[in-house]
Amino acid sequence: MRSNRMGWALLAPTLVILAVVGFLPFFYVLYVSLFDWNPFSNQLGMQWAGVNNFRRLVFDGAFLDSLWRTGLFAFTSVTIELALGFLLAQTLVNSFPGRTIFRTIYVLPLVMAPIAVGATWRLLTIPGFGPIPYYLDRWFGIDFRLATYADQAFITVILMDVWHWTPFVTLTLLAGLTAMPKEPLEQAQVDGANRWQVFRYLTIPMMMPVLLTVIFIRLMDALRIVDEVFMLTSGGPGTATQFIGIHIYRVVVPKTDYGYGSAMSLLVLYFTIVLCWLLFIALAQVGKQRE
Amino acid sequence: MLKRKLTVVLGILVLFSMVLSACAPAALPAAQPAAPAVEGEASWWRTAAQTAGCEGVTLRGISESTPPSRYAADVLAKAFEAETGIKIELEATSWDEMYTKAINDMQAATGIYDFVYIEQDIIYQYLANNYLTNLTQLLADNPELASPDFDFAKFTTFIDNFKDAEGNIYGVPMEAFLKVYLYRKDLFSDPAIQEAFKAQYGYDLAPATTHAQYRDIAEFFTQYGRDNGLDLWGTTVQGNTGHASSFYEFFESIAPTFGVYNWGINMDNWKATVENGGEMNSDKAKEALAFWVDMLNYAPPEATASTWDEVAASFAAGRAAQGWVYGENAAWIATDPDRSRVVGNVGVALPPVAEGVMEDAESGVGYIGYYDGGAFGLPVSSKNQLCTLLWLQYIGQESVQADWAIAGSRIVMESTYDDPKVQEVDAKVDGYYTLMKEAGPLFRGAPPFPFHAALREVVQPYIWKALSGELTPAEALDQAAAAADAELVNLGYGQ
Repeated sequence: MRSNRMGWALLAPTLVILAVVGFLPFFYVLYVSLFDWNPFSNQLGMQWAGVNNFRRLVFDGAFLDSLWRTGLFAFTSVTIELALGFLLAQTLVNSFPGRTIFRTIYVLPLVMAPIAVGATWRLLTIPGFGPIPYYLDRWFGIDFRLATYADQAFITVILMDVWHWTPFVTLTLLAGLTAMPKEPLEQAQVDGANRWQVFRYLTIPMMMPVLLTVIFIRLMDALRIVDEVFMLTSGGPGTATQFIGIHIYRVVVPKTDYGYGSAMSLLVLYFTIVLCWLLFIALAQVGKQRE
Repeated sequence: MLKRKLTVVLGILVLFSMVLSACAPAALPAAQPAAPAVEGEASWWRTAAQTAGCEGVTLRGISESTPPSRYAADVLAKAFEAETGIKIELEATSWDEMYTKAINDMQAATGIYDFVYIEQDIIYQYLANNYLTNLTQLLADNPELASPDFDFAKFTTFIDNFKDAEGNIYGVPMEAFLKVYLYRKDLFSDPAIQEAFKAQYGYDLAPATTHAQYRDIAEFFTQYGRDNGLDLWGTTVQGNTGHASSFYEFFESIAPTFGVYNWGINMDNWKATVENGGEMNSDKAKEALAFWVDMLNYAPPEATASTWDEVAASFAAGRAAQGWVYGENAAWIATDPDRSRVVGNVGVALPPVAEGVMEDAESGVGYIGYYDGGAFGLPVSSKNQLCTLLWLQYIGQESVQADWAIAGSRIVMESTYDDPKVQEVDAKVDGYYTLMKEAGPLFRGAPPFPFHAALREVVQPYIWKALSGELTPAEALDQAAAAADAELVNLGYGQ
């Protein structure tokens, strides 16, 4: 009984912090989402709207577009990061001259703040002044104008994310590869398995928990991306790179549509939780299979 | 071994920092505090600060990082502190961030800011929400704190933007300027260029007075730059495809020159579409947008990434022969050799207009461009109302206006136009201040919309899409007008 009380006492600070920074804002957002509340509307103050804000979301083309765009961005960038990350991790697991220097330089983007990453890429790509548009034009005759061509902007945003986060994927997978038992791999080679078979039937299954964890972390990050993209393109040209985070920002901050923005945030939170849950199920499933 | 490595790394770092220090620009000269008008007035400020119990108080404000704001932060704030003992912390930040922080602070009544920048176009939103303190009333209630060197009557009529229906004032004007037509005098007056232009277009090269002329000039100089291997294009375009600046250039500078006023919103019934009585998607508006989007063909490649700052920088770098440029940048572009490559070569003129627009402007029905500016206002949520009142009066003294006008190309008082220092700079800026004084009434600020930002957020994506070619100008305005109508209903207008 005493130890139980002691346990709660020790937990109390954490629970209080969790309630203040987690639950209270969540319930406040839930509350606000049930109102029409724009300080610059004709009706000042909060007007009861019930679930009308959520109903509006279903028919909001701009919201649905940004959701779809975010999904496409997250899927593409995480897939590329995984493929590249795995390749580089496989390379770095072996010893070669200059490996330490390469690894040090390679992980540098990881320590950069997202806003600095966005600023760096902006300076690199700004039309008229950036080296990338200059050399693309000079060497390949490519008219690279990030603020004009939607496809170029979208691809550049993906490349920026890949540049920023592939080192993280590589390091994590490298840790997984290093920790992998060597015996099964050696046994398979003795049994005559070729490199592809070893990779397909041993490495991948053994790395699955690490892979899923990496996917989990990177997907969450990619879905909530804001700073780098806002710095690089501000969501443009048009709405070509207006991902859901930027879209919500525009609705809540400059447009001051607090009620609708809250409903939007909650729906996105719901989608994210569902996605997390699916990944968690997959992770648990893999764990069971391994047992 | 480790020690040796560390020594090498530290050595490299020290060397690197030394190189960086050597490359850094020389430190700016210390700001010159504005001298108090007379000895007696200086003591009046100190006495007033003591009376209000403000000595040692720190006032926090937020403003957009513009030349006038930076002057206020670097010069006036220090001078005020020296005279009163009240410290001013003025956060000069980006336009977007300024609004976000100011509105959040006033909406939540947190009282972080004691004074905020109120742009002319946002005042109606702020008044509707009772964010601001009535300065007329505050002065009347505290006559002992009314400076003898401060008088609302000394300001230009620009101050009318900061009044409510009863004539009470809610902001002390700190900047006001026109968005003017700048052109390169050296290029326009070059005999060889003049000859080539006349041969190609059949009329003399001169600042454009019509849109057709503007287009010809833009086309000519773009080709001229290409033929001569110069980084020179025909026009600037404030065409950022992800920032509100492009929305503003179109609706506040371009569309009015085609006769589309007040963003094309019918202010009687709050409708934007032609079928509902608005003009946002009228033929005139579509012609205006088509003209402006076409100008991208003659603009530097950075045009679709340019806000007001980049437009000024492009013009100052000599990359454009003409353009619509915010007047707050006119003085430094024309006079500061450290920042501008076109010093001494800047011409100022009225923008080109369509037929009938000048008559509209002269009769008061319409306007030919944007009369921008702002004031410092005192949020109701400020906990230092009386101390801030002193600061607002301090920046509203006649004696500080001339130097401020030179530093920031802004004039808010009639008497500033006649100051010898201002007149001297006026000559170097091709008569920008004179043009502001004489032609100012032809320009107008943003329409008095309480829903300004909300509507802008809805409409601007369509302008961006027109600029990026995703939509034609006609499609963009049809969709924008429909979205505007829907949003206005949503906001409770035009039911």
